[in-house]
Amino acid sequence: MAGKPVRIGVDIGGTFTDVLLFDATTGAFHIDKVLTAPDDPSSAVGDGVASALEKADQSGASVDHVIHGTTLVTNALIERRGAPTALITTRGFRDAVEIGREHRYDLYDIFLEMPKPLVRRRWRLELDERIAADGTMLQRVDPSQVAELVRQIDDAGISAVGVALLHSYRNPENEREVGRLISELAPHLTVSLSSDVAPEIREYERVSTTLANVYVRPLVDRYLADLRDELQAQKIESDLLIMLSSGGTCTVDTARSYPVRLVESGPAAGALAAARFGSELNAPNLLSFDMGGTTAKACLIDGGEPTISTEFEVSRMYRFKKGSGLPVKVPVIEMIEIGAGGGSIAAIDNLGLLKVGPQSAGSEPGPVCYGRGGTRPTVTDADLILGYLDPGFFLGGDMQLDFEAANAAVREHVATPLEMTVPAAAWGIHQVVNENMANAARVHAVERGKDPRAYPVFAFGGAGPVHALGVAKILGSSEVIAPAGAGVLSTVGFLSAPLAFDFVRSFRGLVDELDWNELNRLYEEMETEAQRVLTRAGVPEAELHLTRLAELRYAGQGHEITVELSTGGFSDQSARDIASRFDAEYERLYQRSAPGNPIEAVNWRLLVSGPSPDLPLRQLGGCDEPGPAEAAIKGRREMYIPEWDGYHTAPVYDRYRLGPGLSFQGPAIIEERESTVVVNAPADVWVDSLRSLRISTS
Amino acid sequence: MIGKGPRVTRSNIDPISLEILWNRLIAVVNEQAAALMRTSFTTIVRESGDLSAGVFDTRGNMIAQAVTGTPGHINAMATCIHHFMDVYPAETLKPGDVLITNDPQKTSGHLHDFTVITPIFEGVRLVGFFGNTCHALDIGGRGMGTDARSVYEEGLFVPITKLYDEGLENAELLKLIAANCRAPEPVIGDLRAQVVANDVGGRYLLRFMDEFGLESVDPLTDEIIRRSEGAMREAIAKVPDGDYTNEVYSDGYENPVKLVVTIRKRGDRMDVDWTGSSPASAYGINVVLNYTHAYTTYALKCALAPDVPNNEGSFRPVTVSAPKDSILNAQHPAPVCGRHILGHFLPGAIFGALAEAMPDRVLAEGAANIWSTQLSGPRDDGSVWTYVWFSTGGTGARPNKDGISATAFPSGISGVPAEVIESLAPIHFHRREYRTDSGGPGAYRGGLGQTVEFSVNTGEPYTFSGLFDRTRHPAAGYAGGEPGALARITLGDGTVIDSKGARELGPDMSISLGLPGGGGFYSAFERDPEAVLDDVIDGLVSVDAARSRYAVVIDSERMQIDSEATRRLRAGTSEGGRSGGDE
Repeated sequence: MAGKPVRIGVDIGGTFTDVLLFDATTGAFHIDKVLTAPDDPSSAVGDGVASALEKADQSGASVDHVIHGTTLVTNALIERRGAPTALITTRGFRDAVEIGREHRYDLYDIFLEMPKPLVRRRWRLELDERIAADGTMLQRVDPSQVAELVRQIDDAGISAVGVALLHSYRNPENEREVGRLISELAPHLTVSLSSDVAPEIREYERVSTTLANVYVRPLVDRYLADLRDELQAQKIESDLLIMLSSGGTCTVDTARSYPVRLVESGPAAGALAAARFGSELNAPNLLSFDMGGTTAKACLIDGGEPTISTEFEVSRMYRFKKGSGLPVKVPVIEMIEIGAGGGSIAAIDNLGLLKVGPQSAGSEPGPVCYGRGGTRPTVTDADLILGYLDPGFFLGGDMQLDFEAANAAVREHVATPLEMTVPAAAWGIHQVVNENMANAARVHAVERGKDPRAYPVFAFGGAGPVHALGVAKILGSSEVIAPAGAGVLSTVGFLSAPLAFDFVRSFRGLVDELDWNELNRLYEEMETEAQRVLTRAGVPEAELHLTRLAELRYAGQGHEITVELSTGGFSDQSARDIASRFDAEYERLYQRSAPGNPIEAVNWRLLVSGPSPDLPLRQLGGCDEPGPAEAAIKGRREMYIPEWDGYHTAPVYDRYRLGPGLSFQGPAIIEERESTVVVNAPADVWVDSLRSLRISTS
Repeated sequence: MIGKGPRVTRSNIDPISLEILWNRLIAVVNEQAAALMRTSFTTIVRESGDLSAGVFDTRGNMIAQAVTGTPGHINAMATCIHHFMDVYPAETLKPGDVLITNDPQKTSGHLHDFTVITPIFEGVRLVGFFGNTCHALDIGGRGMGTDARSVYEEGLFVPITKLYDEGLENAELLKLIAANCRAPEPVIGDLRAQVVANDVGGRYLLRFMDEFGLESVDPLTDEIIRRSEGAMREAIAKVPDGDYTNEVYSDGYENPVKLVVTIRKRGDRMDVDWTGSSPASAYGINVVLNYTHAYTTYALKCALAPDVPNNEGSFRPVTVSAPKDSILNAQHPAPVCGRHILGHFLPGAIFGALAEAMPDRVLAEGAANIWSTQLSGPRDDGSVWTYVWFSTGGTGARPNKDGISATAFPSGISGVPAEVIESLAPIHFHRREYRTDSGGPGAYRGGLGQTVEFSVNTGEPYTFSGLFDRTRHPAAGYAGGEPGALARITLGDGTVIDSKGARELGPDMSISLGLPGGGGFYSAFERDPEAVLDDVIDGLVSVDAARSRYAVVIDSERMQIDSEATRRLRAGTSEGGRSGGDE
C-alpha cells in the first residue's frame, strides 16, 4: 500500500473516541482522545481526526487510509436496536432458530431464560423448496410464493429479510433465486442470504448468523455513510477501511454487506496490537489480557498470531455462560470473555464465601468510589483501598475517587460478615477476581492444548495492568508486559492490520473419497472472489498472500481442527498430504494421533491478505530523553504488599519519564493518564525498547 | 511463603483461601472434561454432551464435577466410587492403575455407560481419584432399546475391573469389548479418551497441590463438604416439616407405570421414599437405585439450593429409598437399557410433591424423558446403516414465566441439527417445528413440544425403535394450570402407534413424532390477554384454543383482542368454573 504518508486508526468507544495517527514522513505518532456523543457516535470522528492532523501538521489530502473498528454491531445486537426483520426459510423449519440445540445452558437453574431470536415467529416465513444434504435439487422455488411473502413483508413495514434455506451451504441455487426475486419485486428491502453470510452446515447457527447480519445492516449502512461524510469534511478522500472480528480489514462495501463480521472488531484490534508488540519484542507467544469495567478478555497469541475461531456468541445474557447468547458463525479472533472487571461486585454467597462478579456496577452507577450512586463494593473499590489506585489521579486526575465511601462499603458488605479487617477483605476481593480470570484463561489455554505457563501476560485495558501481575503469578507465567499507550491500544491494532478477508465453503466427505475436481472448483471460485475484493481495495496482485485451510476431523468425531493446506491444484495425491498434515497437527494438540482412522473434511477456507503495514512502535508513548529511574519518581504512597503481609510505602513513577533500558525494583506504581501499572511485589522491572514495562514474576 | 498462596491446614481455611482453592479444583475438572470432549470419537459425547467428569478425595467423597454433563451421570458417579473402593480398597491401588465398569447396578443404570476411575498418586501416596462416565456408542446385545427381557440380552457386562494395571493396558479386556460391539473403533477410542481425561485431571491436581503446598486435599474437601452440607441443611430447614406426596404416571411398556413419592421432611433433613411405585417391568425400562438416587437429589437441589455446589455434602441431608424389585430399585438381572425414561419422570414427581410447600420454587411437569429415535436398515447396495438421535418436548411452566419449548429437562443433553443428521444418515426431515397448542394453558404457559416428521430415503425397508412416553398421561399443570398436550406418534398412513418398541416399516413410510408439551402454572384465565394474543399471532396457540382454554376472544381477521367479549367470557367462566369457553 504505497502512496500517501499518513495512516489513521479510529476507535469509537462508549466514552471516548480514540484517534491514532501515524505519519510515515516523520515516523511519529499523534494521539487524540475526544468524548463520544452517545446518540451520534460518528460525529466525534471529524473533530478527533482534524485535531490529530493539526498536531501532525498534515492535511486530509495526505491521508492514505483510515482504519476503523466499532462496537456498534455488538451493541445493536445486545440492545436489540436493529431493523424490523423477517426470515424466509424452508417449510417446516422456521423454528430451528429458536429451538436451537434443545439444551439448557445451566443445569440447576430452573428459572433460566433462553436467548430470544432476533425475529419473532410471526415473521419467520416459510417456502416450499428443498435441497438435499448432498446438494441435489429436490424442489425449486415457486416465484408466486415468494411474491406473496414479499407482499406480506412489505405490508408490515419490515425493511430487512434474511433468507436461510436448508443445505444452502451445499447448493445456494434456491437462496439465490429468492434473493433475485426479492430484489426485483422490492428493491428497497435489505436482503442477506445465508449461503453468502455463513455458508456452513448446522441450520441453527447459520440462520442465527444470517439474521444478525441483516438485522444490523441498515444501521451499519447509515453509520458508515455518516462516517465517510465526516472524513470527507476533513478532505480525506482516501479509503475508509473497517476492522473485522478476525483481525483483517475490509472495504466499506464489504462491511456493509457483512456487518456481522465486525462483531468483535474492537477486542480483535487489542489482540492484534498484542501480537504486533510481541513480534517486535521477540516474544511471539503471549497471553493478551484486556480487563475493562465489566469484563476481562484473554487471548492466546501463538507464533505472533492470534488464533481464529468461528464459534462465537454475541450477547450472552447469563453470567457470560456458553449457550446463553446468539451464535454467530463468523471468523473471530478467539478469546475468552468473563464477567470480571473493575466494576464487578463483591458479595458473600449462601455458603459464607466471597464471590466477585459476574454482576457488575458497570460505569453507571459504577464503583462506590465514583460517587455516582453505587453502594455495593467492587474490584475498583478494593484496588483503591489497597493503594493501587490514586484517588487524585484517576483518568489523569479528571475524576476524583471517594476513598472513605469505598472503605465503608467493603466493611459493610465483606469485612464485617467475614469478620476480617477492611484491607484483608479488599485483598480478598483482588485475589478472588484474579483467580477467576486466571482460571478462565487457563481453561481457555488448555482447551487448545497449550500450557499457560509458557505465555507472558500482555496487559492492557483500564484495569489490566493493575491485576496482571497477580494473574500472571497464578498462571505460573514468567513475566508481565505492560505496553506504552495502553489506553489507545485498539488503534495500534488497527494500524497493524493487513488488509485481509476470508472465505469459506462447506464440502463434506472422507478425504480418501473426495471429488478433487469439485474442490478445485470451490477454491477457484473463492480465489477469484478474493482477488476481486482485494485488488479493488488497492492491493497489488503480487502482494496478495493466499492461505488455504481445511477443517478436518477423524470420522465420527464432532470437533474439527484447522489444518493449513498446500496451494496449487488438488488431485488424488492430495489425500495423503492432507492426512499427514492432519495427523501432525492432531498429535501436536493432543499428544497422540490415531493414524489410519479415516479423516473427514467439513469446511474449506481461504484466507487472503495484503502485506503487513510498517509501524515503528518504539515511537509510541512519550519520553525522548530519559534520565535515571529515580528522576521519574513523582511521589510515594502506601500500598498493600501481599508478600510482606501489609501496607508499605512504594514509589510512584511517571510513566512518561521512563525510557528504554531503565530498570528498578518493585514494589512500585507506574502511572500514565489512562492506566496504572501495579507492581505489588519486590519484582524486577525494566523498560524495553518499545517502552513497555517488563515485570518479572519470580 | 505468603506469596505462594494461602496455606491450608486442618484448622485455618479462611473463606477467601477456600474460595480460591475451590475454584481451582473446579477449573481442574473442567480441564478434565474439556480433554474428554476434544478427543472423543462419538457425537453422543461431543455434540450431545452425554458424559460427566469429577474429582474425589482419598475416601471417595465427590468434591467437584465439571460444568458439562447430565444429572444421571454426575450424581450416579458420586455414589459409584464407593463400589469401586469395595472391590479395590484404596490401600491395594498402585500408581498407573485405572478401573472400569459398566455395571448398571453400581453406576448409572445401563450397560451403555462406561465409568472410568483413576486413582491419583503423589509418589506412592494416594491423593484422590478422578472419574468420568460416558455413553458408549454401542455395547452389543439388542442395541439401544427397551425390548430386552433381561440385562443379559442388553449387551456386554464389564464388572468392576482393571483397565490398566500399574500402567499396563489390559489388552485382553479391550479385545473382548471390541469383539462385542457393532462399532468397535469409536467405542475403544472413547475409552482411551476417558483414560486420557483422568490423566489430565490428575496432572493438574498434583500441580495445584504443589503450588499451594497441600499434603492432602482431604482437609479442603472436608471444609467444602461441611459448608455444602450446611447450606443444603439450611435450605431444607426453610421448608415446613411434613410429609409431601405425589404420584405420576408413565406409559410404561406392557402396562402403565405409577411412580409414588413421599418426602418426609423433618428439621434439616429429607427422606425421599418411592414406596407405592409399580413393580419392576419385564422390559428394559427399569431403574436401578443408584439412578433413582441421582435424579432424586438432582431435583431437590434444583428446587432447594441451585447455587449450592453439588457434592457429597449436599447429598448427606437426603436419603433416597425405593422398595427392592420395584421399578425404581430393579435388581440384577432386570433389563434396564431405557432407564432414563422413568429416571426423567422423577423430578416432576418430586416438584409436584413440593409444590404445596414451596410453589415458587418448582416448575410444572414437563415432557420428562428425552426421546431417542433409532433407525436402521439396509441400503440399496446391501450395506447396513443405523442412526440414533434425541428430541425434546416442552418443559413445565414456572410460577413466574412460561415453560421452555422443545428443550431437554431434566436431562442435560443437546440435540443434533437436521442438516448434520441428513448428512450422516439416509434420513429426510419434513419438519421440525413447534406443535401448536401443545403447551399446557396457564397464567404461565407450558413449553411447547415439537413435531418431528421424517422418512428414510434408501428405497429399502427400515427398522424404527422409539424410547418415547406420555402418549397416555400428560404433563400436569400446577396451581390451576392445565396439562400439556399428550404425545402422538403417527405413521404416514395415519396409524397411531405406541411409545415403545421396535417395528419394521416399508420404504415409503414416513413417521411423525408429536412430542408432548409442558404443563401450565396458575389458571389460564389469569393469563394476560395480550400474551395470549402474542401467542396466537406467533401460531403457538390457535384462535380456537385462545377462546376455549384461555377465555380470550380474538378477532382473527384483524388479529385483535375483542375486549368486551373476553371480559364477558372470563366473567362467566370465573362464576361457572373453568368449563366454559366454547359457545
